[in-house]
Amino acid sequence: MSAIRREERGGRTVLLTKSLLRGDRVYNEELVEIEGEEYRTWDPFRSKLAAAILRGLPDDVVRPGDRVLYLGTSTGTTPSHVSDIVGGSGLVVGVELSARVAREFVENVARKRKNVIPFVADARDPTKYSITKVDVVYCDIAQQDQTEIALENCRQLLRDGGTLLLVVKARSIDVLKEPEDVFREEKRKLEVAGFRVAKVVDLAPFDKDHAMILAAS
Amino acid sequence: MSEPAGNDASMEKIRQESIAAAEEAIRKASSRPDLHLVQAIQALDDTDKFLNVTATRAVEWYGLHFPELFPIVQDNTAMCRLISDLGRRDSYEAEGLQGRGMTDKKVEAVLIAKARSKGGEISDPDLSRVKALASLGLELSGQRDRLNEYVESMMKKVAPNVSQIAGATIGARLMAKVGGLDRLAVLPASTIQILGAEKALFRALRTGSRPPKHGILFQHQEVHMAPKWQRGKIARTLANKIAIAARIDYYRGSEEPSVKAGLMKRIEGIKEKYKEPPKRQERPERSQRRGRFQRRDKPRRR
Ligand SMILES: C[S@@+](CC[C@H](N)C(=O)[O-])C[C@H]1O[C@@H](n2cnc3c(N)ncnc32)[C@H](O)[C@@H]1O
Repeated sequence: MSAIRREERGGRTVLLTKSLLRGDRVYNEELVEIEGEEYRTWDPFRSKLAAAILRGLPDDVVRPGDRVLYLGTSTGTTPSHVSDIVGGSGLVVGVELSARVAREFVENVARKRKNVIPFVADARDPTKYSITKVDVVYCDIAQQDQTEIALENCRQLLRDGGTLLLVVKARSIDVLKEPEDVFREEKRKLEVAGFRVAKVVDLAPFDKDHAMILAAS
Repeated sequence: MSEPAGNDASMEKIRQESIAAAEEAIRKASSRPDLHLVQAIQALDDTDKFLNVTATRAVEWYGLHFPELFPIVQDNTAMCRLISDLGRRDSYEAEGLQGRGMTDKKVEAVLIAKARSKGGEISDPDLSRVKALASLGLELSGQRDRLNEYVESMMKKVAPNVSQIAGATIGARLMAKVGGLDRLAVLPASTIQILGAEKALFRALRTGSRPPKHGILFQHQEVHMAPKWQRGKIARTLANKIAIAARIDYYRGSEEPSVKAGLMKRIEGIKEKYKEPPKRQERPERSQRRGRFQRRDKPRRR
């Protein structure tokens, strides 16, 4: 069963996730009541995972019960939806380097949601947050060497057959190359490391020059 | 899902510990003096803008009543002081003006201007609004000076070597740009050289135009006072020394006079060696100036 809902509104698809915490708003998302359950609208312009799902990633890349290692939580917009999706039996381990944004993540997301464990740490050092093996590694840290960082995290913490979701921002990897070339090269790196790349989705029009790579170990 | 999911009591314990550790890390990070400095330099720049806007408005408004005064005084803060202390132009007298450290020549000019002023009458309510605006300008000016002193003295403590080399305000602006001393301390000199010129850099990367030679560092007097053809070289040297200084400040924290001495020697060397402007034809043609900054093959996607 997917924890994501789609609604058609005026010819547009709106994504929603079922609230883990009734009545709790993390940013300015809308709360919607459907069949006696509360859902939070999931804005693809603010969340790259929502954009990727609308652009063709399967709805169930992340499933109820999954354990997710989330690298680069920022203030927690996307992690809060992932927390909705994995639900009470799942887990989100959230890692953020910048104390400034981690403050909001801890206050608004981790403190309230029992399935979220926060770490103010550098994703280059997974030993700082290696509390469990995970089903999914999600990486969105906008660093030039982030593919290598993601792979090292997978090596240490992703279970066999687990999923890697990697956001590639062409500009932070090489400003001179065409985005498509950057996406292809990062994909190649994953394949060399033994991953099967199932999909590369361009996040336009929600994000310019960004792609999401879905791979399995 | 292979792993047995579900969050038991032991996971909740780990969660509580992680939250506590994260909050401690956040607390520690927020008490870092360099982060306070970053806020202070930004407050200084903000205050400068407010001051400028407020004082300019007060001067403009007062200009309806005494338009000849600003061309003589030529300083916004001094104007604010006159407006708020003296009010109507009738009350401008020789002693009063001399007592404010105005030169005799200026005092005379003001008195002549007063006698022949083409300014209109100003009502009490109008005057009190203008005076209030001028006082606000004075208050902002005082606040700006205090922030300036604060930045100077904090920079001496937090980043004494960067202060020495770059100057306190420029050093603080560099830190503000990257988010703290820790980040400045890991940057290569080539990046420090063009901090604050990111737009020009990206333009250069995209279109093959020439990359910028300096960003914030242009504010340094050794750079902007130098002849045009020396600026890039001086900025480069300055950036090299700032990179070293930031590392010493971050990892050691004590002053190291040799860095400054080395800088001055290098700058003297540049000034000596490149005394003359380069000859025109020495610069390669545009089409040959590509190298790393090559034009993209395909036009960028919009
Ligand atoms: C593009 S934002 C992530 C946005 C977030 N995924 C969302 O959709 O709401 C990238 C984040 O990664 C963080 N980051 C950068 N380098 C990091 C590192 N080495 N380790 C952990 N986090 C890092 C940045 O501080 C920033 O908050």
